This record gives sequence, structure tokens and C-alpha cells, in this order.
Amino acid sequence: MKDARYLVGRSLTWFVIGVAVFTGVLATLPVPEAAEGPARGVPEETFAVVDVTAFDGEAFRQGWDVWVEDGRIRHAGQRLDLPEDLPRVDGRGHTLIPGLIDGHVHSFLSTLGDALRFGVTTVLDQSTDPAFAAAMRPEREEVARGTQADLFSAGMTATAPEGHGTQYGMPVETLTGPDEAAQWVRARKAEDSDWIKIIYEDGSAFGMEIASLEGETVAAVIAAAHAEGLAAVVHVSTLETALEAMTFGADGLVHVWRDEVVSEVDARRFAEADIFVVPTLSVMVSADDPAVAELVRDTDDAMLSPIQRQTLDGRFPGGLGEGGDVAMENVRRLRAAGVRLIAGTDAPNPGTGAGISMHGELRLLARAGMGSAEALAAATSVAADAFGVAERGRIAEGHLADLVLVRGDLEEDVSRSHDIVGIWKDGYLVDRAVGSAGAGFQPEIAPAPAETLVADFEDGFEASFGAWDVTTDQLTGGSSTADVAVRDGALVVTGEIAPGAAFPWAGVIWMPGAQPMQPVDFSGREAIRFRTRGDGRQYSVMLIGSAEPAGPPPTVTFIAPEEWTQVEIRLEDFPTATPEVIAGLAFVAEGPVGSFSFEVDEVEVR
Amino acid sequence: MTGGAATASAGASMLARDAHRLTPARRFRIYLLEARFQFVEVLREPMFAIPTLAFPLIFYLFFGVIMGARGVSLAVPTYVLATYGVFGVLGPALFGFGAGLANERDTGVLLLKQTTPMPAGAYLFAKVMAALIFGAVVVAALFLMAAHAAGVALYRWQWFALAGVLLAGVIPFCALGLAIGAWARGRSAVAVVNLVFLPMAMLSGLWLPIYMFPDVMQDIALALPAYHHAQLALKVIAMDAGQPVPMHLAVLAAETLAFLAVAALGFRRADSFSMRRIR
Repeated sequence: MKDARYLVGRSLTWFVIGVAVFTGVLATLPVPEAAEGPARGVPEETFAVVDVTAFDGEAFRQGWDVWVEDGRIRHAGQRLDLPEDLPRVDGRGHTLIPGLIDGHVHSFLSTLGDALRFGVTTVLDQSTDPAFAAAMRPEREEVARGTQADLFSAGMTATAPEGHGTQYGMPVETLTGPDEAAQWVRARKAEDSDWIKIIYEDGSAFGMEIASLEGETVAAVIAAAHAEGLAAVVHVSTLETALEAMTFGADGLVHVWRDEVVSEVDARRFAEADIFVVPTLSVMVSADDPAVAELVRDTDDAMLSPIQRQTLDGRFPGGLGEGGDVAMENVRRLRAAGVRLIAGTDAPNPGTGAGISMHGELRLLARAGMGSAEALAAATSVAADAFGVAERGRIAEGHLADLVLVRGDLEEDVSRSHDIVGIWKDGYLVDRAVGSAGAGFQPEIAPAPAETLVADFEDGFEASFGAWDVTTDQLTGGSSTADVAVRDGALVVTGEIAPGAAFPWAGVIWMPGAQPMQPVDFSGREAIRFRTRGDGRQYSVMLIGSAEPAGPPPTVTFIAPEEWTQVEIRLEDFPTATPEVIAGLAFVAEGPVGSFSFEVDEVEVR
Repeated sequence: MTGGAATASAGASMLARDAHRLTPARRFRIYLLEARFQFVEVLREPMFAIPTLAFPLIFYLFFGVIMGARGVSLAVPTYVLATYGVFGVLGPALFGFGAGLANERDTGVLLLKQTTPMPAGAYLFAKVMAALIFGAVVVAALFLMAAHAAGVALYRWQWFALAGVLLAGVIPFCALGLAIGAWARGRSAVAVVNLVFLPMAMLSGLWLPIYMFPDVMQDIALALPAYHHAQLALKVIAMDAGQPVPMHLAVLAAETLAFLAVAALGFRRADSFSMRRIR
């Protein structure tokens, strides 16, 4: 019995030692460095970021505590008397900035979610589908967990028939003269437009001829907007139109111009008129600028959504030409004259991506001579003040707790802004993973219009509903090319299939919805019918449905023979469960490698 | 033989009566000593100790530290830390119970132990404890390797929660081992355990993340206890597939009960065999 007791004692001792060693091992394992990454366990809603370098919207403040309560900033300052039990985030070595405000975006689909995942908590949209804006606006009033940036939007844009802004497939009521201005602005006010956006663009700066509003109509719309208590901003692309817009009383210009360097005298006139400028260097300096490539290289590829990747890789058809240096010099001179400048990206235009490009814009503004505080102010408080966006753009008492914690010292180097430790929106932590946030707006499936004829190309590139666009495998990393033109009342598609993509394609896509890639329900229709002729090669009709497919889309092939032939493809022949839901129909060449040429005419969904 | 059997059964019933009179202190001592002896026994069995301790560590070294170091992100070493942790707990439980029990039954050690006043519970308790201790050693070694060789850093609560979740896995896995041990004969038990152990580990996504598999294999995983246990472990580090915790717990509980039922049936069958042999 003595042996047994002895063994019992020893066993217990060893057991206790074992448990102690195990616990000891667990207790000494490394933990993430302070605020390494808000994963789980990082506080939200009510908490404090302590001992952080804060940019409050105007200047950097060392050693600040920022106290968030119920999603708003309760107090911010040095060494606050914080309650003992308040959850804390150690901000040492990091910089806390207000959520970024992108001063020039166009919103659709998931762009609002993508923006938020990159620290852009508010976007100032310079025209989108009014229905989209109406659907998204209510969310900005809620202090609650969300997955999208808050949207403030001009809604529909003022432009001439066939003018810039009408080509995107969104509904646009155009203006033909100044007498329509008051009526038009009232309609925007009824749609809850937050301000008025006017296009004053004849394409001359880009070697194009585009129908434009007359100067007197622009002036009339600005006056009408002011009469309704709305601000008015103008899209310009030349110094001449910029000066005109200023004399018409515009509140802001939403691009810098690339045609001519502004004189110091004129720069001072802009300053005296107290007009603000959103230069949108992200598009005005060529998309091939190394800044963009650098930023993308600095970003974890897994952080980019398919749409961000697609638009970042995109290029304006034919390019924008020279002028990037002029745009940059104009920003320098406007800044020197004291003109209010606002950071804005014009995302998701070709070469930009929602959210991510804001960090590129900060780099470009810094290159134009702005210090860190100035560039960040342009991306926060200055933008908020210019567009009358309340409770945002500052770390100040009562403001929404839209906060971005950035690794390292932003004051020293603003190009670190993309290195985000954590984002809080309305005090709630933002999940930065693609898909978790950023699922964003799923457009509702729209009903099909009554008409069956999509396009007969008698009056050019127009579709009777929806819009046409070029599509190639460059979306997936390929290098095939396609050109489209309308000749003799038919759509002529030429191009070359080049190796490089897993599934090469090039051709043209028709998107039936009011927004790009919005699915339309064609229930009751039976077939797609069109006329075609070409080089005798085999072509494909791809059906892009409502959900993003994992592989290549369902496809039916046809031959484009030498003589005009009618092709009819029954919807049920597409290998998919829901062929009647169509977000896009692509008429494309696929392999083999080589050049191709075909024509399409009288496209119908019947 | 008839007389011997009668004496033996008379003795057994007397001992059984004694067992009812065990004081809590004596009961505790028996449980503890049986656990100690069994632990020392498996410790001295290199065929058991080396693979169950070394395999998860070697796998982690390869997939977590060496392969994982190629990526910039710590996602892979962190992910496989949880899944090899499951693997590490699964091994001792299956082998200790499945192979160990079958072996002890074959060699008559189990029968011998049944004739002693030791409550049956002490035997099972000892086996679970041995699995638990081996599992804890594997988990601790994995954690140290992940932290210091792969650079994995977790919040303090995550380290503890992950260890807790992993070790709790001995319950369903021991039940599974018990079911196997109750049915398989000594020699074949090791083979059966391996047939369950290795495919289940792979199909549950313990070696490679489950999302790399085709859909069919992912569907199969839904039936496996190791999958649900791994998902719970991954939940601690926010890398799970996003299925609800109660679902995982419910499946694990149901399967544990099913394994125990299968084991009970197996013992009933085995008892009738051994009684026949004695007669």
C-alpha cells in the first residue's frame, strides 16, 4: 500500500507539472504586435485607440487617444481620462486617419464595397443611375454595421443629346437649351440628387468630336441648381471651359485639364472665385503611370475583387494621349495659388480601381507638391466641407467613427496609406476580405423591355436598349484585341486572337441592363436572332448570366460565311439552367490564334 | 474446466460486490494508477509513440514551415496549425483506443484486468487520459514549432482556445477508436485504424485546405467527425468555412453517441465469445 501511495503522489505531481508546463507554453507563445490586425478580439462600437498619431482632418497630433462610443467619436485628444474597462487598441507606431472621402467616383455593382475595403468610407459620386443612388442613399443615415462606403451622389448628369455621359447605358435625360434647365434641376431635386453635375465637354482635348451643352445652358443649369439650394459642379477638360464654368458660378470642377498650363493670373482667379477642383490625377495622369503599377504591386493580390482587377487593367480606348504632365503642372499651380483641391479618382474608369486608387491619388497629389497633411486633408475634411457632407472627414467630437488605422508614420510618408491595419465604419470593424465585404449591391433582375430588336446599326453604335462594348480576354490576362465600327448599317468586328489566356476571346458584348452587367429577365423570349457574314471562321455567342460563373460562360457557336446569313440560336440551347436571365451577350471569336473579321446586324431577342 | 469457471465467476462476483464498496479515495487512486500505468505502457511502445508524436510534427514542418514560408502571408502556416493539431489529437485517440484495446483483448490483458476489482471506468479513463496527454504533447510541440519556426502569432485567447478545442477532440475520436477496438481483432486493428485514420485526415482537409478539393470530396467531408472538429478549431482563428458552430457540435455529439453504441454492440459480441472460450 505504501508503494501505491508513493506512486499516486508521483503521478499527481507529474500531472500537475505537465499541466503547468502546457499552460506555460501556451502563455509564452507569441501574440501579434500591437494592433497587428484587427481580426477577432479587436474592439468595435465602443472602444478607444490609444497613444496613436492621429490626423484629425487638418494636422497630425502625436500621442492622441480617440474614444469611440456607439459608433461616434466621443472625445479625442491627448491622454484622455478613459474608463478602466474601455476596450483599447494600442496605436503606438501607427497613424489614425478619418475614413477617406473619394471626391469623384461612379458607383455601380460592388464598387461601394470595394471602396470601403480600402479605407474609403464615403464616396462623392459624380453621376450614376438615379435608381442605384436612391437605393444606396438610406444606408448612410444608419450608424450600424455595413459593408459599403456611404454614397453621396449627383445622380443623373446634365449633358447634351449624344453627349459625354450618355454612352454608359444609364438613363439620362438630356438638355437641348437653357430654358429646360429649371425643369431639369427640379427633377433632380425630386430624385434626391445631393448636388448637380454638369458635363461641359466637346472632346477637343482628346481629339474627338462630342456633342456638348452650350455655355449658356451650363450657366442656366448652375443658376437653377443654386436657386434650388444645390451646389453645381462641372466636368471640364480644357482651360477655356474651366474658366467659363468659373464665370458661370460653378462651385467646383471635377477634373483638371490637360490641354494647357494655367497661368499664374488665371490660377489666382480660380482661387479668388473660391471654386474647388477635384483634379482626378488617377485618370488625368496616364493610367500607364508607374504610380499605378507600384500601388498594385504593393497590394496583396488577394485583396482585389474581380471588378477592381478588371478596371485597373483597363485602358481608355485609344488612350488619352499626352497631357499628364500638363495636368500635374496645373495642380501644382492651382495649389500654389491657394485653390481648394480635393482628392478624387474617377474610379472605376479604365486604369483605376474603386478604393485602391484613392491611395494612388494621394501619392500623385504628393508628387504634385502636397505635404502629407495637405494631401490627407484633400482626401477628408476639405472634401467633406466642399460637398457639405456632415459628420465625416474629421476626427472630432460627434463625428462618425469612420477611422482607418495605417501602419507606420503617415506624416513622414503618405505613400504608406495603403498599408492598412484596420478600418472602422460607424465604429464597426470592416472585414477587408474580398467577398465578405464588397458583395455590395446585387442589381435586381430587371424586366425586359417590350421591344425585341436590340440594334440594326442604321444610326450608328446605339442599341435600342442596353449598350454595346468591346470585350476581350485581356480581362483574364490575355492579349487578344478587337475593334468595332459601324459601316453600311452593320456592326463590323475585327481583331486578333493572341495566345496568353486560358480561354482566349475577342469581340463585342451587348449588355441589356440600365447599368453595366445588370441582368435582365427575358422570360417568354425564345431565341436570339441576328444576321452575320464574315471570314468563314467559327464564332461564339456567350451568354453572361446573373451569377458570376466559375468557368467560361455558356456558349453556342455559329459560322460567319461570306454571304449575309441569318442565325437563330434558341435560348434553351445555351448549356445553363437560366438562359432567360441575361446580363450580357457576347459575339466573339475564340481560338484558334489569328486575325478575324465578322459583321453582325439586326440583333433581336425574340 | 467447469469447476474453475464456476470459481472464477464466484470470485468475480465477490470482487464486483467489493467494487461497489470502493471509497471515493480508493476509487480515485485506482483511476489514477491505471492511467499512470497505461500511459507509461504506451510511452514504452515505440510503434505507438513515435508515429503519433512525430507524424504531425514532420507534416507541419513540411507543409507549414517549409512550404508555408514561400508565401508572404502567414495564412498557410496558421491554417495548417489548426488542422495538424486535429491530426495530432486524432492519432493517439484512434491508435490508443483502436489498436491498444484490440491488442489487450487479444492477449488477454483486458480479461485479466476485468477480473480485478478495478472498475471498468478506470480502464477507459486511463485510455482517454493517455490520448489526452499525448495529444497535449503534440499540440504543445506544434504550437512551439508554428510560433518559432513559422512565425505564427495568435492572440493569447486564441492560443488557449485553440488548444482547448483541439484537446476536446479526444472525446469523439476516442469514441471512434473504442468502436474500432471493440470490433477489430488485435492484428487487424492497426490496419483498420490506418484505413480510417489516413483517409479521414485527408478528406477532412487536415493535410491540405478543404477548399482545394472538388465539390464531391467536400460533400464527403461533411460526414466526417475530423472535418467538424477541424472546422471548430479553424473557427478560433477565423479561417473556417463559415458553417454554424451548433451544427458542428451537433454532428460531433451524434457521431460520438453512434460510435459508443457501435462499441457497446461490439463488446456484447466479444463477451459472448470470451465466455465461450472459457467454457
